[in-house]
Amino acid sequence: MESEVFSANSSAIIVAHELKGPLSLSRQLALSLDFEDSLDGAREIGRQIAATSERALRQVEDLTRIARLEDAMFEMEPVNPRIVCDEVVTELWRLFRFNRRELMIDYRNKRKLVVANRQLLHSVVYNFCLNAMNYGGEDLPSLVSIYEKRDKIRIDVRDYGPTVPTKVWREIKSGFVKKPVDIAMRPGSSGLGLYIAAKFANYMNSDFGLVRHRDGTSFYIDLPVSGQLSLI
Amino acid sequence: MILIVEDDRGWEDYYRRILKFYEPKIYHDGVAAIKAMDEEVPDLVILDILLTGPTGFAVLNEMRSYPELAKVPVLIVTSITMKTDLAKQYGVVEILSKSEMTPQELIEAVQKALK
Repeated sequence: MESEVFSANSSAIIVAHELKGPLSLSRQLALSLDFEDSLDGAREIGRQIAATSERALRQVEDLTRIARLEDAMFEMEPVNPRIVCDEVVTELWRLFRFNRRELMIDYRNKRKLVVANRQLLHSVVYNFCLNAMNYGGEDLPSLVSIYEKRDKIRIDVRDYGPTVPTKVWREIKSGFVKKPVDIAMRPGSSGLGLYIAAKFANYMNSDFGLVRHRDGTSFYIDLPVSGQLSLI
Repeated sequence: MILIVEDDRGWEDYYRRILKFYEPKIYHDGVAAIKAMDEEVPDLVILDILLTGPTGFAVLNEMRSYPELAKVPVLIVTSITMKTDLAKQYGVVEILSKSEMTPQELIEAVQKALK
């Protein structure tokens, strides 16, 4: 029975399934408003609908961006990684709360800027965080870190998910990620978020990879330092 | 007692709201759910298929291997397409699609399964 269900594993189906999840939940939440007695409860459902549908919408936007990458419409510029990570954490905190997860930050680099495209870097960090959201524990918050690594600035997001298989690890390290199913390696993940992150990291000529821990994984992007310093 | 196995926390509040009358117990992985069933046999299990860790099929197989859990009705609520006849062989009373069902249909399926 299992093999029949999982046999149709083309990329399109993987992507559709990933997006179907939040859309189905949004619909059910909207329908459940009829079962909510209090105004506060109804408002909370409304917020959950917004957070859940924004997630799907952002991934759709990212997929359309991937299609436009060839047109080279995304210019590289000096970017403050701290501001980008703050934006992502602000955008995702509510979704994390609805999923009983926590997202924390640890910025060890305060002033250095990186060379990146701000929009794409935002998407990379966003998708790292979304991936981590699947694998947090009750007392194990996902952690967004920024720090110097040799002559680069590294942004990584730590999760507490199952170990990443060696074959998949090599694939990610090689930067040869062709489609989501290639990295759909962990239960509960289609690999779509990491696929998007890998595509954008590759476009920005930055290093994308992962560090395996005993109890989880850190996905990272290493970015070149900009000559400019942040004024903030 | 209704026991729900669902790893997506986003669905947890939904189930608690729709099935509040039944005060369901919700578990986020199959291992914890089986352990809980070992301590108290549920009247109904609502099962997702794509779970972190063992899949819903593994939970179902495990349940059917214990005499005391073999006849517990199981209602599958999933986002994947499943063949009804195959699931029925595993004693699944009904399969509901997360994308197509309504809260009312869920309540009716639960009431029917508990009869």
